[in-house]
Amino acid sequence: MSQHHIDVFFSVMPFLLQGFAETLKLSLVGVLWGSVLGALLGIIRGQQIAFFSPLIGAYIHILRGTPFLVQLYIAYFVLPNTGLAWLMWDSQTAAFASLGIYTSSYVTEIVSAAIRAIPRGQWEASFAVGFTRMQSLRHVILPQSVGLIMPSLGGVYVNLIKATSIVSVVGIAELTRQGEISILRFPADILYIYLLVALLYFAFCFPVLMTVDWLERRTKVGAKYGTAVLSGRLEAAE
Amino acid sequence: MKRYLRLLTAALGLAAMVVGQSVAHAADTIMDEILQRGELRVGVQTQGAPVSFVNKDGERAGLAIDIARMMADDLGVKLVLQDYDWKGLIPALLAGKFDLIAADMTPTAERTAALLFSRPFFYQETVAFTTTDKPYTTWQDLNVAGLNIGAVQGGTYVTAVKEFLPETNVKEFASGPTVAQALSAGRIDGALSDLGNVRGYAQEYDNLKLLDGVITREPLAFATRKENVHLKFWMDNYVELISANHKLDRLLDYWWNTTAWQADHK
Amino acid sequence: MLELLGQQIVPIYNYRIVLQYADEFSRGIGNTLSAAAASLVLSIAFGFLLALIRLSGRSWLTYPAAAYTHSIRATPLLLQIYIVYFGLPLLIPATGRWSEVVLGVIALTLHTTPYMAEIIRSGIVSVPRGQREGAIAVGMTPIQQYRHIILPQAFTNTLPPLLGQSAILVKDTSLLSLITVFDLVSAGMLLNSERIRPNEGFLSVAVIYLAIYCVMLMLSRVAEHYLAGTSRKARTA
Repeated sequence: MSQHHIDVFFSVMPFLLQGFAETLKLSLVGVLWGSVLGALLGIIRGQQIAFFSPLIGAYIHILRGTPFLVQLYIAYFVLPNTGLAWLMWDSQTAAFASLGIYTSSYVTEIVSAAIRAIPRGQWEASFAVGFTRMQSLRHVILPQSVGLIMPSLGGVYVNLIKATSIVSVVGIAELTRQGEISILRFPADILYIYLLVALLYFAFCFPVLMTVDWLERRTKVGAKYGTAVLSGRLEAAE
Repeated sequence: MKRYLRLLTAALGLAAMVVGQSVAHAADTIMDEILQRGELRVGVQTQGAPVSFVNKDGERAGLAIDIARMMADDLGVKLVLQDYDWKGLIPALLAGKFDLIAADMTPTAERTAALLFSRPFFYQETVAFTTTDKPYTTWQDLNVAGLNIGAVQGGTYVTAVKEFLPETNVKEFASGPTVAQALSAGRIDGALSDLGNVRGYAQEYDNLKLLDGVITREPLAFATRKENVHLKFWMDNYVELISANHKLDRLLDYWWNTTAWQADHK
Repeated sequence: MLELLGQQIVPIYNYRIVLQYADEFSRGIGNTLSAAAASLVLSIAFGFLLALIRLSGRSWLTYPAAAYTHSIRATPLLLQIYIVYFGLPLLIPATGRWSEVVLGVIALTLHTTPYMAEIIRSGIVSVPRGQREGAIAVGMTPIQQYRHIILPQAFTNTLPPLLGQSAILVKDTSLLSLITVFDLVSAGMLLNSERIRPNEGFLSVAVIYLAIYCVMLMLSRVAEHYLAGTSRKARTA
């Protein structure tokens, strides 16, 4: 730890923290949009409705089958090219949109798996007492699903934070990008600066991951869903 | 059911309003629009000294910035700058994020098929540079199989590598400074850029040297969307004006032909 | 008839331009698949070692392994790639001469190994205790236990998640385009930069990735179908 390292640290940290604030902003918007969209699609898909469930399934496969970088480039380059005014996105909007859609693909699967995990008897009982489909969802099914959804959401959130590093390629000044800018100012300290950036990500993501692990261990709802969560998390672990 | 019908009508009404707005806008030309809003929106490169960069005081400076500022002052409007990576400039222009690109952009045949360019404000010379420990002296020496030559992604230097150094592999980077850094660190064997940029890099890194010979010569111009015909002619006229009264020459001498700008901005 | 259909599509997606870039796209696909294959093989090999370390229960081994796993899980892949690409040549000067593909494969392997280790570990743990006890009872050494009893049975549960992780790995290789590796994404970017045609550039790339994904999905289904007959456990969701 030389004087030089300390100087670089104080010179670079303000920008890195600015970048981190931007990362948080991106991830919050992504989580909001992704959760809303994902919950909606997940609820529809979980009930295995004739036309929509396979359609949503296809949507998820398309999102899972293409890299996030490609999705981002499509949002940033291809959509504005259509000429439709509302699709003329700048980098911020393109980043928000693709992060939201990316998150929604995971949330949809988690929510639909949670709904399908609720025993059929619950549905039958609620119909028997005269609830409509909407009412059954609202009063019986969803409250029970929440406990199954929550642990996995933390994992999705961490993946989202990691995905925000990729939006640096369209020029958004988040943490990774600030790291890139900083190493242009201090080319001799590339490794040191990137390690500082890694430390910031770690400081934030590690506690979330530990909480998620702990929650999952606590709410282990039986082997079947447990392995579903495990493979869900492995699939989500990018 | 009634609730859904009401939601649907509201959504349709909103959509109609949005469409109406965009139709109304299309009537004005971009020149009228700029004067009406009192703002000239210009897209510049994030990191490209001496054309556009952030100086030691944290302000945006450079040749393109000065010209854009002059344009806005002479029009009597405010200047709004937006910066992008080189490869993002054209998509952002096409997406309508700003009115014109002020960068050292070459009006290639493909680009002019999609955009309108002003008349050139400068002609750049593409040169090659490498590290001081390499034995090469001219740019032709670099045309050896297996060498990696760096250039800015989406720029004409990439095309130049493929055309004039066909034996080599081209490596594309996000910006000029990252190319220089990669070269200095030994990740690539040589790189292409223009003379003005290379002089700047040679000062910044102590192990870079310019190779003899000019590879090619290209015009540099400002760009706008292809429907903005009036703006294109306005830009043509502006370049003519500042060439005639030598303001352009003074700027070029300060930013491009010498390294005088480094004293004030580095 | 096909000509007419072709004419209709050209304004939105000029496939003729895409065909002009067929060479670049092939080169990109080749690099993508080879980088993915190399990382896959290496990460399974190292993942197996890491899984054994974690199962060993010896804390002087498991603590570093856990630290490594957590560092990888809590930092973005892109950052890991940058650190390997910029940092490794600084730490070990000899690696400075290695091509960016090699450095990219190293970074991807470092990243994927913990996930593979988790899959393999779960697979091994899923084999019922009785099997291992039986193997010990008939006098097998640990190596024999693994080779004849545990691993063959673990295989059934390991293969589907392994294929899932491989699909993720193929997608992760797209990030190598950011350290100047000429992969599929770079090919699309090249088309867009030279011809200013984002549709032809990036939609082609998306479709090709989807095609690769579909192939892997089919492989996964075939594997599951084949293994279902030999496995007692139900398929994972």
